[in-house]
Amino acid sequence: MLEKTGSDTVAGMAESIGALEERIELLRAQVRQALVGGNRERASELRRGLREAERAWHDALAALEQEPPEQQRPRDGRLLAGAAEGNARAQAGSAERGLAGPAAPPRLQLPLREQVHQALTLLTVPASPRLISAVHEALFAGAISTARLTSLRRDEERSFLVAPFARPYYLCAALTADLLAPVRGLLAVSTWPMERRVIGPLSPRVDYLTAAIQIAESVQRIPGPGPAAWRLLWRFAVNIPGGSAQAGEVDPATVARAARAEMEIHADADTATRGAAAARARRQLGDPEQLFGSRLRAAPQAGVGA
Amino acid sequence: MDSTEARLDRIRGKVPPRNHNARTIAALSSNPGCARRAIMDAAGADKQRLAAHAGFPAGFGQSQFAITRGNAFEAQVKANGCAELLRLLRDQLRLPIPEVSYDNLEEVGGDASRELRHARTRHLLMRTAASGRDAGTLFDHPLLRLEVGGRAVYLEPDLIAFRLNGRFHVVEIKSFAVIDGQADGDKVAAAVIQSAVYVLALRQLLAELGIGPDAVADEVILVCPENFANQPTAAALDVRKQLTVLRRQLARLQRVDTLLDLLPAALTFDLDPDPAGTPRRPAADLADAVRAVPARYAPECLASCEMCFFCRDEARGATAALGRAVRDELCGVEHVASVLSLARGADPGPGELAEAAQVLRSAARLRQEGLGEAV
Repeated sequence: MLEKTGSDTVAGMAESIGALEERIELLRAQVRQALVGGNRERASELRRGLREAERAWHDALAALEQEPPEQQRPRDGRLLAGAAEGNARAQAGSAERGLAGPAAPPRLQLPLREQVHQALTLLTVPASPRLISAVHEALFAGAISTARLTSLRRDEERSFLVAPFARPYYLCAALTADLLAPVRGLLAVSTWPMERRVIGPLSPRVDYLTAAIQIAESVQRIPGPGPAAWRLLWRFAVNIPGGSAQAGEVDPATVARAARAEMEIHADADTATRGAAAARARRQLGDPEQLFGSRLRAAPQAGVGA
Repeated sequence: MDSTEARLDRIRGKVPPRNHNARTIAALSSNPGCARRAIMDAAGADKQRLAAHAGFPAGFGQSQFAITRGNAFEAQVKANGCAELLRLLRDQLRLPIPEVSYDNLEEVGGDASRELRHARTRHLLMRTAASGRDAGTLFDHPLLRLEVGGRAVYLEPDLIAFRLNGRFHVVEIKSFAVIDGQADGDKVAAAVIQSAVYVLALRQLLAELGIGPDAVADEVILVCPENFANQPTAAALDVRKQLTVLRRQLARLQRVDTLLDLLPAALTFDLDPDPAGTPRRPAADLADAVRAVPARYAPECLASCEMCFFCRDEARGATAALGRAVRDELCGVEHVASVLSLARGADPGPGELAEAAQVLRSAARLRQEGLGEAV
């Protein structure tokens, strides 16, 4: 890995700049449409986004120029590309700091939504801010303050309403299977299939077991997992029947096996509920509601109690 | 004669009624004989303001730290689809493994209005009780309703678990610690009686749906932190005794008109507030009105009633103010002064006091012999 040259970096950079250019194009078109449609407020909002994207593009170019070819290597081209679309300055920073490698990860400062995305992608299921923070602390770079996550979903929703699908992914809501309303305190990723984002009565448990399996496999995969990773795994292990053989000892393979065994009991019923609810959501809801849930308003009140 | 409702409204004055909650209903059972409390609660009077205006403010209410601690512990136990709670219920109470269904009733589609939540609770519980299969195990923060003194009171248990041994169980999560299998007796007693209120409300709800009381277990499950860590532990507690007490208390509240008959018709606790909300009624006048309703003060009132300092002041000189045990020791004689005079040899007159006088006199003699001084 280490002998790779800077060409990877340049390729990564070029890729990220490409993404920015696409985004700028898109924003320009949207500004024009908004002005034609007479929506000045939206146009100025979009213009602001456009200016930001252009600045990011210039910054990225500058970073490309300064790049000493033999020295720098991002850990992951995708990561760089993702960062570029979110925040170019942080991206430039991560390119400089990213070479620290796995030995010294805490200095890698990704934007908050990237950190959350990382943790959620590992878990593969909707999760609470507390769990996201614990996973990020255990398996990535340090804890995320849960207080910062409280407004994240609202910010993402606002951003989506201003420019729908302008970002490659949004951090969105999980939906309740019965009313398709946003579930309190759960974050999900917009690119996941709807089946994964609806939560039926059995889903909290199924998702918990899935998360346990994912965490157990990561602990097995990464070299020398830290105490935070073991602690996280242990917390899952004790709540799963047969998850921990003896007190104080935890084995990732056992945890994963126990979780799979229990999952088998609930999986069929859960999949059926989720499938039905997801089909309903796709049929009934518009794009913003599919991502951020539909809220009950005054009208349906009489229907619920009946 | 006015209707009971109209009289209670007059007694309360021109303020909206205070609502009961599980705590206040539980407090009712701690001093069942107190007419003052019964009347004030039935009328929904703001006891705290009344006590303050009459010159005996009581620093009541739960500490903010206690509330935060309680909420944090509850959140921990219920995190990730009640993962920790499921372990406890499985290990200690043999909840079958397939029973993991979880419904959150804290809000309905982003709407947290009480009527809506109650309707949804009813709907879900009915469906569960009727189908019996695959229809829910854990119900988080259901909203129940109980008639108290003719008014509907909304109650919110921490959790209801179903199909634990085939019945609904009320689960109460409390943040006081169980150390070496022992918890603070007063706190457990308070938690048990609160849970009993929930059991009663749940039974009432199911009765409206035509389901018998057997569907709700007499046992409630108390979840507390174990020892000095934050690890939760669970225990099942029998609440049959508390249920009996509560039922009697609530029936008594329904019969509040018999208490009202003994009171002056013009009685009111209205503070006559000016537009800014400052009371204009003279404190002495209010105190007289409060005194018109007989109270039964006992030291336990200090832990549960906002009027306690007023009643304690009023009860000075009465043997009951020293506690029920002391009063019994003094043969049930009502005032300290009469106890002393009987002990000194005053004539008890014919009837019930004769025996008491004899006992008190011999007690006085013993004391004199032991300490060498007269009473």
